[in-house]
Amino acid sequence: MMRLPPVAGEWIDRAVPVAFSFEGRAVSGFEGDTISSALAAGGVRVIGRSFKYHRPRGLLSFANHDVNALMQVEAGGRSIPNVRADVTPVQPGWRIAAVNTRGGLAADRLAFLDRLGRFLPVGFYYKAFHGKQLFPHWERMFRNLTGLGRVDPKAPQRATAKRYDFCDVLVIGAGPSGLSAALAAAEGGADVLMVDENRAAGGSAQYARGGASQPTAAVDRLIGSVAAEARVRTLLGGCAAGYYADHWVPVVTTAAIVKVRARAVVLAQGASEQPAVFRGNDLPGVMLASAAQRLIYRYAVAPARRIAVLAANAEGYAAALDAQSHGIEVAAVLDLRSAVGPRTQLYREQLLQSGVRVVNCVRPVEAIAGSGGCITRLEFTASSGRESVDIDGLWMSVGFAPLTGLLHQAGGTVRYDSGAEQFVPDSLPAGTYACGKLVGAYTLEERLEDGSDAGRAAAAGLGTAARRDARPRPAAAECSNHAYPVFRHPNGKEFIDFDEDLHIRDVENACQEGFDSSELLKRFSTMGMGPSQGKHSNLNALRILARVRGESLAQHSMTTARPMFHPVSMSHLAGRGFVPERRTPIDPEHAALGAVWMPAGNWRRAEYYARDGQTREQAIAAEVQAVRGAVGLIDVGTLGKIEAHGPCAGEFLDRLYTGRLSNLKAGTTRYGLMVDETGVVIDDGVIARLGPECFYFTTTTGNSATLFREFGRLAAWWGMPVGLVNLTGHYAAFNLAGPASRAVLASLTDLNLDDAAFPYLAVREAHIAGIACRLLRVGFVGELGYEIHAPAEFGIELWRVILRAGRTRGIRPFGVEAQRMLRLEKGHLIVGQDTDGVTNALEINAAWAVKMDKPYFIGQRSLATLARRPPRQTLVGFRLAAGAALRPRESNLIIDRGRIAGRVTSVGLSPTLGHLIGLALVDPAVGAAGKLSVRIDSGAQIVAEVVRTPFYDPLGERQRQKETA
Amino acid sequence: MSAAPASTRPLRRSPINAAYGAAADRLFVREDMAQPRPLERTVASDAAVVLTEMSWRRRFGLKGPAAETWLALRGFCAPSPANSWAVAEGVLVARLATSEFLVEALEAGQTRVGEAAQQLYAGDCLPGAYPVPRQDLVIRLQGAALNELLRQTCSVDFVPLTRLLAGDAGPLVLTSMMGVGVVAIPRELSGQRELTLWVEPSFAHYFWTTLLTVVADFGGGVQLDRPHGV
Repeated sequence: MMRLPPVAGEWIDRAVPVAFSFEGRAVSGFEGDTISSALAAGGVRVIGRSFKYHRPRGLLSFANHDVNALMQVEAGGRSIPNVRADVTPVQPGWRIAAVNTRGGLAADRLAFLDRLGRFLPVGFYYKAFHGKQLFPHWERMFRNLTGLGRVDPKAPQRATAKRYDFCDVLVIGAGPSGLSAALAAAEGGADVLMVDENRAAGGSAQYARGGASQPTAAVDRLIGSVAAEARVRTLLGGCAAGYYADHWVPVVTTAAIVKVRARAVVLAQGASEQPAVFRGNDLPGVMLASAAQRLIYRYAVAPARRIAVLAANAEGYAAALDAQSHGIEVAAVLDLRSAVGPRTQLYREQLLQSGVRVVNCVRPVEAIAGSGGCITRLEFTASSGRESVDIDGLWMSVGFAPLTGLLHQAGGTVRYDSGAEQFVPDSLPAGTYACGKLVGAYTLEERLEDGSDAGRAAAAGLGTAARRDARPRPAAAECSNHAYPVFRHPNGKEFIDFDEDLHIRDVENACQEGFDSSELLKRFSTMGMGPSQGKHSNLNALRILARVRGESLAQHSMTTARPMFHPVSMSHLAGRGFVPERRTPIDPEHAALGAVWMPAGNWRRAEYYARDGQTREQAIAAEVQAVRGAVGLIDVGTLGKIEAHGPCAGEFLDRLYTGRLSNLKAGTTRYGLMVDETGVVIDDGVIARLGPECFYFTTTTGNSATLFREFGRLAAWWGMPVGLVNLTGHYAAFNLAGPASRAVLASLTDLNLDDAAFPYLAVREAHIAGIACRLLRVGFVGELGYEIHAPAEFGIELWRVILRAGRTRGIRPFGVEAQRMLRLEKGHLIVGQDTDGVTNALEINAAWAVKMDKPYFIGQRSLATLARRPPRQTLVGFRLAAGAALRPRESNLIIDRGRIAGRVTSVGLSPTLGHLIGLALVDPAVGAAGKLSVRIDSGAQIVAEVVRTPFYDPLGERQRQKETA
Repeated sequence: MSAAPASTRPLRRSPINAAYGAAADRLFVREDMAQPRPLERTVASDAAVVLTEMSWRRRFGLKGPAAETWLALRGFCAPSPANSWAVAEGVLVARLATSEFLVEALEAGQTRVGEAAQQLYAGDCLPGAYPVPRQDLVIRLQGAALNELLRQTCSVDFVPLTRLLAGDAGPLVLTSMMGVGVVAIPRELSGQRELTLWVEPSFAHYFWTTLLTVVADFGGGVQLDRPHGV
């Protein structure tokens, strides 16, 4: 066991043991332990296999970044992939396994890949595998060899709530600078939200203690002050994973994504410790010094028994003191530098006094593994020559990379500061502030001051506090970052990116092949594309790239980490689904009548009404026959329904539609066709004039919302005082159609329905069964018919009354499919089905609906141009002989002498005519030839005869029917 | 559109008539609107979040440059700023934009608002003013977890708005909740904050059922609004 005696501030509850299994072996931890800390406490040093070479791996950062620490967890009947062992509290009974092994972690059958490294250089798959046929095979093979976790397809769907939060100042990071910033902003009058991905505030000040038994008192006091400040809310366990426009930051918590909208943001998320690059730096037991310190102080775990510290800063010496104070033998501090600064000197003297050997000018040569695969020895050179030290742990403390991902996403820029040997902010967008390690402040005093300045500036920027210029920050007395902690070995395996198993030679090869910028290098080599998103690799890769090219780091830039900056589970991204569905007021009635539903835009509509003993086709045919032979009722409440008011409403509609509407007489209706600026058909409908200054018109179902917004925009753009009212959802609408429709309606209203009083294409307002309605006499389905529009709250009552009244006349509700067939029999097109995104008004034989002599309408100029050219395509009707064995389907192609000459837009077996009829958009020459060759789904070609439309009632006598049936 | 005599007018139907499914097997009637009487998800008035459907209230909309004058002639006092509301004599008048209004009777004003709506729809309107039919689903939200509910369903921060409430007047918001456009009016009555939403009726079923799902996470539910009869 590697568990230490109680440590001040530890996060575990020793009174509550937690038993679980790892790779089939029983392990015990305490409540509060993460999976990683419990494994470390249990002496488990190899916790995973690397992504590509399947090398044994242990803890590296212990900071929620490593691919090594992704686990498959079986719990509660579920199998959860890619659980982040570094930060996930372990639970009793969990069965945990490493994610990327074949046959288990200890006996991974794919471990041989490590010996094939020289045959698997960066980008090898771009060059080794050619031929489309075999590519799926190779793809499957590589996915099997290099997988992460296994997704359980049977996992239950979890509705993960998303939530919004709001604040004046969002402080990201609750380390010393973040705490200080939060307090200063709050004292400046701002409402502050402080978030940190850790379970407790304090940041590195809580664990980088330099051997002290207690955390720094100043930081403890600061935490207390922040907790007592009413204006500061603290959200711990929340990772700020992105930065969007207007200071919108998604904070990922265990339960959900919190979308935080702030007026200003202080970036205080610090820096990520970087590994040194040398052969064997990935052996289990080699870890970042900060990882070791977190294990000690948060979880009371000794990461090793005898260690060396590979150091290039004061932080490494402090870590050695931390180890020593917890009984871990420090064999040596191996300093890469030749001389040390004043911060280091203090720690160095303490170490020397306690007998620790300190060596300068060290170059690590190779970490050597023992039989278990873990580090047992480090070989290095120093001024005295080549040496080695026997250890079971090597802690690396050679520098940091500021976490600039969010800063880049915010629109900020960075520059390389050669004094601090790190990138620092060069410019920040308005309302964004940075402080702490991010700007190169590493001592506690610097971070507290810097954070305070940033918090005050953020509050001042909101106008809640007086603005005060930030204090100039003096140059650091000692740099915490080594300029080039990279040590090449002739046999390679000096890992830069631990996620993707990339080593120095990979970067050199990529550069040699011309991928010589950070962005190109990333794409070619996958550097920084793993779970850590380059937090440990990008800076070292850039150092090597610059060195290979003989340039300075200042000539290069870091890649921009896209949101999410940190991997987020899919369930969190999906969140609770909000997918609005619209329903007409009559929807419950359809359900009661056996409606089979279909989506129409975002509406739910009845496709047809199922009847016992009838197939879908039979039910639809019966509905068609009811309309042709008696009377039918369809819910058309999904149509867009808009009113236009005002003295220039007619002129406004003249500009929207191709036809002339300003001369429409009150009480009449007219078909309207709408095109866009290029003459392409976008919508159609019926326009009714209710009064001198009031029009009521319909749009297609899918376009109503878009068009209403566009109409408002155009009215404002044209400066026309038109009042527009959207009644789409507020009105129910039905089409009562069929030869008996007049008789049914007559039994319900006092309105004179005689043809003379209410002729075809007229509109009337009247009461039906006591309900105020609008009635439009239209003929979309080719029969005597009335569209009836009424307030939604009376829709159900009206529907029921009409069905009751029509019962003796054989009334039948009909759905969308029957309506499609009825209008097809009449040759009426449906915009969006019989037209597409390039079909203009002249190609659908709608010139009659286009009044080019109007002063202006949208698309007029384009149609004038198009009219001077031969048409590109034309809409024609076609039929197939009764009993045709092979049937075309919509979107089947028309073929003419081996080339595509058009497509079928609508087709169906007409119950009225007894044969297949359809519409097709075709090359005009092909249409004129009288025969269409249609290639059907099977690949066979069938011949259809081009015929004139309408297929049914060509003179339109039925819809104009004058006498009551 | 002419109005029918009140005596012959059939019952109105709530926009969420079918939202309860089998639970909507009984109706209650309020101001001639038949509404479902839910048997499930009913909660006590002190639940974390309580939804109450208020669609039964009489209301009308009015739009156009002369709309404010028309309202004034009938004694309705419109608030001055855009996106604000005021209540006087039991009638809420909300200015949704510079010249669009929503008028709704809260309690005492049912008759007055009903008569004004009839006049409006009967064509008794000024030039430059025209009616806007309002068949909205109207929901009142109350409860201790109201703000948390809003934070899970809407991107607007309502907390600053409640600070602007002044007695029987305050700001309103036209925004999107759960993907649906709503008019949202915060109000404070007897120290209790509430929010009323107006939702376009074709979204009513989706909005109500989805909101109930979210509310259930907080232990909330539905409460009836004092029915007149069953």
